[in-house]
Amino acid sequence: MQVGMTVNGEAHEADAEPRTLLVHHIREAVGLTGTNIGCDTSSCGACTIHIDGEPVKSCTMLAVQANGADITTIEGMAADDGTLHPMQQAFMENHGLQCGYCTPGMVMAATSLLQENPSPTEAEVRQGLEGNLCRCTGYHNIVKAVLAAAEGE
Amino acid sequence: MSIGSSPIREDAAAKVTGQARYPADRTPPDAVVAKVVFTDQPHARLVSLDTSAASASPGVLAILTGADVAVNEYGLTLFDQPVFVSVEHTGRSSVRCDVSRWEADHLAVVVAETTEQADAAANFIEAEWEQLDVVADIDDALADDAPLLHAEDGLGSNAYHNYKIRKGDMQAGWARAAAVVEATYELPHQEHAYLQPEAGLAYIDDEGRVVVEVGGQWTHEDREQIAHALDLPEDRVRVIYPPIGGAFGGREDMSLQIVLALAAKTLHESGTDRPVVSQWSREESIVGHHKRHRGRIKARWGADADGKIVAIHNEAWLDAGAYNYTSNKVLGNCHIGQAGPYEVPNAHIDSHAVYTNSVPGGAFRGFGGPQAAFVAESQMNRLAHELGIDPVEIRRRNLLSDGSIGITQTPMPDGVTIREVVEACATEADFDSALGPAEVFSPFASLPPSPASLKRGRGIACALKNVGFSFGFPERCEATIVLHGEPDSGTPDRAELFHAGAEVGQGSHTAFLQMAAEATGIDLDKVEGRFSDTASSGDSGSASASRLTFMAGNSILGAAEEADRAWQEGHRPAVGHFRYVPPSTEPLDPETGICHPNFSYGYVAQVVELTVDTETGHIVIDRVVSTHDVGKAINPDLVVGQIEGAVVQAHGYTLSERLRVDDGRILNPRFSSYLIPGIADVPTEIKSVVLELADPRGPWGARGMAEMPYMTYAPAVIAALHDATGIWFETFPLTPDTVLARLGT
Repeated sequence: MQVGMTVNGEAHEADAEPRTLLVHHIREAVGLTGTNIGCDTSSCGACTIHIDGEPVKSCTMLAVQANGADITTIEGMAADDGTLHPMQQAFMENHGLQCGYCTPGMVMAATSLLQENPSPTEAEVRQGLEGNLCRCTGYHNIVKAVLAAAEGE
Repeated sequence: MSIGSSPIREDAAAKVTGQARYPADRTPPDAVVAKVVFTDQPHARLVSLDTSAASASPGVLAILTGADVAVNEYGLTLFDQPVFVSVEHTGRSSVRCDVSRWEADHLAVVVAETTEQADAAANFIEAEWEQLDVVADIDDALADDAPLLHAEDGLGSNAYHNYKIRKGDMQAGWARAAAVVEATYELPHQEHAYLQPEAGLAYIDDEGRVVVEVGGQWTHEDREQIAHALDLPEDRVRVIYPPIGGAFGGREDMSLQIVLALAAKTLHESGTDRPVVSQWSREESIVGHHKRHRGRIKARWGADADGKIVAIHNEAWLDAGAYNYTSNKVLGNCHIGQAGPYEVPNAHIDSHAVYTNSVPGGAFRGFGGPQAAFVAESQMNRLAHELGIDPVEIRRRNLLSDGSIGITQTPMPDGVTIREVVEACATEADFDSALGPAEVFSPFASLPPSPASLKRGRGIACALKNVGFSFGFPERCEATIVLHGEPDSGTPDRAELFHAGAEVGQGSHTAFLQMAAEATGIDLDKVEGRFSDTASSGDSGSASASRLTFMAGNSILGAAEEADRAWQEGHRPAVGHFRYVPPSTEPLDPETGICHPNFSYGYVAQVVELTVDTETGHIVIDRVVSTHDVGKAINPDLVVGQIEGAVVQAHGYTLSERLRVDDGRILNPRFSSYLIPGIADVPTEIKSVVLELADPRGPWGARGMAEMPYMTYAPAVIAALHDATGIWFETFPLTPDTVLARLGT
């Protein structure tokens, strides 16, 4: 069936089977591969995106459920002139990534976290990112990056 | 100075914007899909295979089986694994092809227009199996009537690699012992759990080469194994690594490389020139690749009244699983690691790799070292306790130093700094201070904290880990540097670095560029990297054994010198190529173990402080002090990133990651049931202490360091848990139920 959504500010219409997961739709039909797939069980959070401003693991929804939704993926986070989102900048400067596979999901989840709580404590950052796994960094630099972004550094 | 600073990673911008294109992100519009079909048989003989119905299924272009492989065998160090289990023994191969020894042995590859069509067709493959007795574990494998899983090796036993150490006079040693500690340790599997599941792309390029784009750890070794199985000259195969989503040793062996190449080549030969993509699910990834070895190590150590070791007697068994992978090498490392970083006058050590029908054991950060260090450090901490000697002090009395004779009865390579590392660790951790009161915690919101049941403890462990390939394996690393500039210019404007060394997330390419800038005197932003393509770079060896900074750095230094010579001679561009070969090493003597096993080591010591709730068995790690001699920190922030990442990976190994393998089958191949640490589970205080005591052979003095922080965590936690509870644990992961069962409350 036909599914329409706004992705990173652009209208997108495509055919989707009723059983297609949103993450596959974004990667294959919309053609944006920055949203990664890391598991089959909604455990890792690598596919986190924003739907109508809320963070969602895009493997937990069907594409058809996102009909009419306003979606932001990692590709839509930087400004049109290429200026990085402060959270992207903070991850870069604080070495908040190694292999980078979890990074798009982490950036999306962390951005939502700061929208809800602009000045989180370290413990609140850890609590807020519990749904996102990283196997490389040990998380310390990720926490540092989020706190730095919160302080506007 | 380009080295010694921490510029932003060269790949950071692409990775934070979603522009980094991992192996699964490179699907061309005209691609077809290859699906690997596992046998799903831990041990069975293939009686018949019928692919006719599958071939007729909609969208199917080809079904590839053993009959399609020129040489139906592969393996990183031994060719002991068929590419496909098949009824007929086809082509050249020494291994028996008609037996599935592992649930993830490959039966066929389905090539179809879409993933859905490939999945559907796979269901129509009909295989008839004769069930064989499953050799489930080490005990099964060593039983008198055990079926031999690789009878072709002619050994008459599933224990197919056996190493010895025979040093000194054991009887004289025991005679001097004032304390003897003895235990049998059970070591668990561990899954790598890199976030990016296996994926890849293959096609035929303009020069007619079979190209495979995939995540791996050694482009040239992948190429060699593909070429071997397809019976092609190596220059007809090209391997390219795009951004890779983690590795940790788990990508050292083949996953999709050979089957992707085979599919692209077969399609091409049948007149279909379309790229082939393939991708594993998380479940296929966990079932389909090797693990850190589980094993058993019996240890009996004695020390005199001063705490000096007088004798050690160990026997180790590692579960190699169905195929060797790198088990023979891992076993060697585990073998000599069992003596710890200590002077041991008398030793008797036997180590065995054992074939079973379980998931293969293979490379994983530390490469056999962590299992050995767990035993050596547990034994050392027990001796300290038995003798009433402080654990730091007893180490002072036994640690290696420059000029020491190692366990293989040859002098240690110069630059032994374990003493400095242990002292720095004890000082930074304030090891002699009293532990403060426990901070009250509750593992569950519904469970009120119970301050009275909390106990605190502190423990220390230390270790050494080799840098580079061991035991006579031909070690080398190549680099090419090209200097560009005007003919009459005195200095080049910019440089290119060609290097195959894999970037698996650790930051190697950033460090390579920093070292190339330093070696050429050109600004970092004027050095461009051309990485990880067998068509443009010489062999770098693997991203493993904590070797890349050391090996690549030395190759870059040599290439820069050659390029400078060409520049001075007036060449524009000026090309410098260099192949670095470190001091040679030797295999273990079969009877005594005497050899020069390694040319360089890194050294680590860790102190762990924890709190355990004796009512629930929950453990909280309060503080980790991880101390390292890295020789020279080329990029200090990346060094700390490796320390924090390794500590947390070891935290999972020690506390939460329990792989359930029953009768040759993995029962929990999911992140929902195999629990790697999340952000709320990890120690919140990891103090990284980085010493820079130069390795005399290292580039700018640098040593390898990426595995070392992993080595000592488990034994340090076990020591801290003993300090808290008075109980020595011989196994882990220390999940609450395991802890509670031993506490007996």
